[in-house]
Amino acid sequence: MRVIAIALLFLVAGCATIPPPAPVPRPAAKAPQPSPAPPQQTAKPNVVAPTVAKPAAAPLNLTTLEARLKGTNAIGVLTKITLKNQVDDLLDDFRAYYKGKLKATLADLRRSFDMLVLKVLSLLQDSDPSLAAAIAASRDAIWGILSDPAKFAAI
Amino acid sequence: MKQRIAGAAIAILMTAGIAATAQAADDAAVRKDLFTVITLQGLPCGEVVSVTTKAENDHIASCKDGNRYHIFVNAAGRVVVEKQ
Repeated sequence: MRVIAIALLFLVAGCATIPPPAPVPRPAAKAPQPSPAPPQQTAKPNVVAPTVAKPAAAPLNLTTLEARLKGTNAIGVLTKITLKNQVDDLLDDFRAYYKGKLKATLADLRRSFDMLVLKVLSLLQDSDPSLAAAIAASRDAIWGILSDPAKFAAI
Repeated sequence: MKQRIAGAAIAILMTAGIAATAQAADDAAVRKDLFTVITLQGLPCGEVVSVTTKAENDHIASCKDGNRYHIFVNAAGRVVVEKQ
């Protein structure tokens, strides 16, 4: 089971280099809104009120993702192995591409990557929506690793 | 005495019912897992209606559309779906 989970992590292997997500400001922790300015205060028309970021799913780091994938019941064991196989195949394609042994273009690999991510998301989105959202948030970071030969070599 | 027997019977029936429910849930999970694997391989199925388990990670799945697949993990660690 651990092997399966770790293997699935190849999908998001690039996240290993991503620093832990910065703490997202929570609306509840926001300082109380100041009361409207008294009339004698001069208004500052150019000052933009700070916007509170939405608590969107932050990119996952490797450890977190491993734990999440190991713990999720949204995917069965055989499904996890199948996905691992497909992730391994995609990584093999990238290796061959960087060695000049694959005739496919980077756009072709991007299409394969997108399809694989879509499969994972479709499997998770109903049963484990938070993990699906986290993987979706990590998608660009993962592609950033895969599409960079230097970063890919470091996986 | 009759009350004790009735109580025991109820307990047995409840235990059997719980076990049957758990078994059904397991079966449904396996069917769903196998169906997902079949579709991930791009093979037609529709729905897995029955499963025969030969060993751990080694199943025969029968689909609603009449297809039957042997699904297992080979020595290389790959999931193989063979049409029967």
